[in-house]
Order: sequence, then structure tokens, then C-alpha cells
Amino acid sequence: MEEILFGIGISALAGALATVAGAAEDTESDIGSQGDPNSQVQLAPQMGYVHRIYNKAVSGEPPAYGLWVALAAGVAWALMAIQFNAILALVIGSAVAVFVQGVYATTAYLGRTASLAKFEQPVYIDILKSVTSVTMAHAFVAIFATVTMCFLMIEALGHPFPLPLMGIVWGIALGAAGSATGNPFYGKERQYQKYPFGAGLPISASGDIVRYAEAGQRSSIDNGWFTSKGAGPASGICFGLIVFFELWRTILFEPFAAGWGAVIAGVVLIIVFMVIDRYVETWARKTYGPYTEEAAPEEEAAA
Amino acid sequence: MSVKIEASEGGMPHDKMLGIGVVGALVCLYIVYLNSLMSTDVFAFFGGLAAVIALWWGTDSIKTLCSYGLGTGVPSAGMISLGSGVIAFLFATKLAGISPLLVPLGCIIIAAIIGAILGFISDKVLNMNIPVMTRMIAELTIVGSLTMLGFTAMISGSFIFTDLIAGSVSFLGMVVTSYAASVIGGCILATIFMLGAIAIQHPFNACLGPNESWDRTQMCALECGFLSMLVVAVMSVAFLSLFAVVISFVISIILWGWSYSEYIKLSKRDAYAWLDSKPIREVGGE
Repeated sequence: MEEILFGIGISALAGALATVAGAAEDTESDIGSQGDPNSQVQLAPQMGYVHRIYNKAVSGEPPAYGLWVALAAGVAWALMAIQFNAILALVIGSAVAVFVQGVYATTAYLGRTASLAKFEQPVYIDILKSVTSVTMAHAFVAIFATVTMCFLMIEALGHPFPLPLMGIVWGIALGAAGSATGNPFYGKERQYQKYPFGAGLPISASGDIVRYAEAGQRSSIDNGWFTSKGAGPASGICFGLIVFFELWRTILFEPFAAGWGAVIAGVVLIIVFMVIDRYVETWARKTYGPYTEEAAPEEEAAA
Repeated sequence: MSVKIEASEGGMPHDKMLGIGVVGALVCLYIVYLNSLMSTDVFAFFGGLAAVIALWWGTDSIKTLCSYGLGTGVPSAGMISLGSGVIAFLFATKLAGISPLLVPLGCIIIAAIIGAILGFISDKVLNMNIPVMTRMIAELTIVGSLTMLGFTAMISGSFIFTDLIAGSVSFLGMVVTSYAASVIGGCILATIFMLGAIAIQHPFNACLGPNESWDRTQMCALECGFLSMLVVAVMSVAFLSLFAVVISFVISIILWGWSYSEYIKLSKRDAYAWLDSKPIREVGGE
């Protein structure tokens, strides 16, 4: 009994760390315009909309976070192998990973923007100086929380995988959660704030992203400020629930039916969440969105 | 699907880059073998150089492949490169049982075979119909396996399978051999895999666009390679002597600093304008 209680406690702690990581990850990727909203940032100058938005085209978020977290885990593992204190090793590992993330972010912005010279998109180096440090700070929170969570799973729950392998698995999961949950809020709503909610993206509006703010010109940091209210916490809850339920079902149901209990519990959880998701989606469309099947052609014509 | 868009004009012909990539990486890997001959580990950083040379060549392969309208496929090409390369790499390290000298050369041959099969499946069975697909996937598999081999050699000073599964832990003053403390047992390979996969796709992914230029993309490839070398040097503290780690680290940081500043210069050359704290300059008018 005590073992189960301890396991549930660790699951809750890991879930809390994952929630922080998910929120930071999504805010980081929105500040840098990584993932699918990046295509519109890339397209905008080609349609004549020169902008001052960061263009951090490293790759999709799942592979990128796979690298950052696996790298932090790898460096931490190596330092622990030479008898470093575990917490110090995790902090140094995350710092090294964030350094690499920052360098990749700057080369992506410079490369993509310089390659758009034909469309008269200048390189704004003040963006590079002000925004890169903000994405690095958010990335540090995301990476450190995820690596610490992996370390907890290994040390406290006795997970058999070594730290770098846990890092790659949970890093990819973190990137996928942030990319799937948080990005629509930035890519479909924030970039197209002037179009009605749920209006979709007509071809004629492609690249017409919001470039001016309430006062002055929109910076990517404004996007982080905006998405940290809705998209960040949503991604955090998503990743936190994934981690919590993953550990919870294993700890509680693994003794049943030679391990199959945990598998069955996982399938049941997925079905329950599918029902909840479908309900929330239809409810949100009915309550807030002008986008209904009948109204859809009108909306597109108006846009 | 298979309409070719010329990615960038000029630059070195791809076949010449292939030659430099294969020969350069092989020479560097054989220099790492001096570690075993002279029972030292100071030559480990040549493994990193081998990986960087391979990445430099692989960037051009990705560019050739992805000039057939595979915009979002660039990161995927990097993943398949390392994903298929890791099979060839692990198989090749086992060849050390026959002779350690077989490993680098065997790695290239096995990777070419695996890559050709995968390329044929993508091109003909999945019907992607891209003329250069089979050849480029084969090249990318070789690049992926050489990158893994190079970084593994840099991190542990050896590319022999028996060395990769034996780590040492000091326990109460005694040194004990432990699988969990080795390169493969500790899964440091997972980190190397991601380092290589992101480094190979990033240069072209970052520089693509109408004004992409050959020298800037290739400089970005070198920069990504040296950056990966830098962190591999940090991780090698678990396996190498402090002297070898310091040598690897200093060489990596000098090369990375040089390539990063060169890359910024080339970006400045290619950019439409290089502005600091200036407002949006409207084109055409709304």
C-alpha cells in the first residue's frame, strides 16, 4: 500500500513538472513561431507583408524538443557518471541544451530571412537580440522540468530506461503535445486575429498575418504574452495529463492480468478522452464560432 | 510531384562533394583508430571531424533530394538518414570482431545497401517518383551512419563494439566494468542520434527560400556540425581522459566560433537589408 501511495505521489509530482514544461514549451515555440504557424510567417513576405516576427524554423517541435531534452539528459548522464551531484548535473545539462537551442534559433532566423531577400524582407537584428533570449529562457524551463521528470521516473519509480533514452521519448512527447494543443491558438487565431473566430483560412488571406499591434508593431514577444494565457496552460494540462495518466495507470493496474491491466486501462482512458474531446469541440463551435455548415460559404465570401 | 526546382546556382558539383565527404570521413575515422594503436585517447576529436565532413556532404544530398518540391519533407529526410544509418552503424561496429580496420569501410558499404533498398521502396513501391530518390536516400544513409560512427568515436575514443558496451564505474575506489555505464548501455546513442538528425536537416531547412546560396547553406552545415561536436566533447567527460576532453572541447569551440561568425557574415551579404531597431518597411503598399 505504502509503495502505491509513494508511486502516486511521484506521478503527481511528475505530472506537475510536465504541466510546467508543456506551458513553457508552447510559449517558447509561439514566441519563435516554430511548428506549423511558421509556414505563414515564412509565406507573409512572399505575399508582400514584410513583418517583424521571429522565424525559428529548426524543424517540427517534436524532433527539436527530442534533441533539446535528449541533449540535456545526455550531458546530465555524463556528468553523473563522473560523480556530479544529480541536481547540478541536470541544471548544467539543461543549460548546455539551451545554448544549442539558442544557436539553432539564430541560424534559422538569419538563414530564412536572408533567403527572402527577393521579397525585400530585411533582417532585423534587434529581433535576434531581444527575442532569442526570451525563447531560450522559456526553453530552459521546459527542458529542465522534463529532464527532472525523467530523472524522477528512473530514480523514484525504477524505470529501466537510461536517462538519455527517457529524454528522447519524453522530449518528443513534449514537443508533440505543445505542437498539437497550443499551436492552433497561435497559428489559427493570433496570426489571423482580424478574421472571425473559426473562419478557417481562405487562400486569399494566406500570409496576411497580423503585423501591427495595438500600439506600434507586433513583436514575437507579444505573441508569447498572448498565447501564455490560453495556449500555454492548455498545452501544459495536455502534457501533464499524459504524464500523470501514463504513470498512474501503470502503477495501479500493472499487477492485474500480468501487465495487461495497464494496457486495458490505457485503452479505456483513450476512449474516455476521445468522447470528452469531441464534446468540447462541438460545444465550442456551437457556442462561439460563426463557422457552421450553412454559414461557411458566406464567411469565405466576406473574407 | 517531380518537378525540379533549382535550389541554388553555382557551388561545387555534387559528385565532387560526395568524393570529399567519403574520403575525408574515412581518413578521419582511421586516424581515430590510432587511439587503439598508441593506447591513448587524444585522437578522439577526429571522429567529430569525420561527422562534420559527412554532414557537410549530406546537406547537399538533402538539398538535391528536396529540390523536388519536398518543402516540409526536409526534417523527415534528416530523420530517415539517421534512422537507417544507425542500423548500418551498429552492424559495422560488430565487424571489429573480424578486424577493426573493416569498421569504417564496412559501415559505408552496409549503409549503401540499406539505403538503396529503402530508396527503392520509397521511389517505386510507395510511388513517390522522384528521379534521384534511390541514390540520395542511399547517400543520406551513408551520411547518417558515418555521423553516428564519427560522434561515437569522438565520445568514447573507439568504434569497436566491445568497447562501446563496456563502461567503467569506480565503486568504493575500485573500477568495475559495467554495461549501464557504456555508450550503448547508457543510451548516449539516443543523444547522438538526435544531434545528427537535427544537424543534417537544419542547414537546408534554415536557408531554403528563393535567395538560398550554396556557400551560406554549406557554412551553416559546418556550423551545425561543429556545434554538435562541441556538446559531444562535453559528454565525452564520461569516457575519456580530461586531457583528451579539453583538446576536443578547445578544437570544437574554435571551429564553431569561426563557422558561426562566417555564417553571420554570409547572411549579412545575402540579406536584403541589415537593420537594427527599424520599423516595418512596407513593400508595394496596401
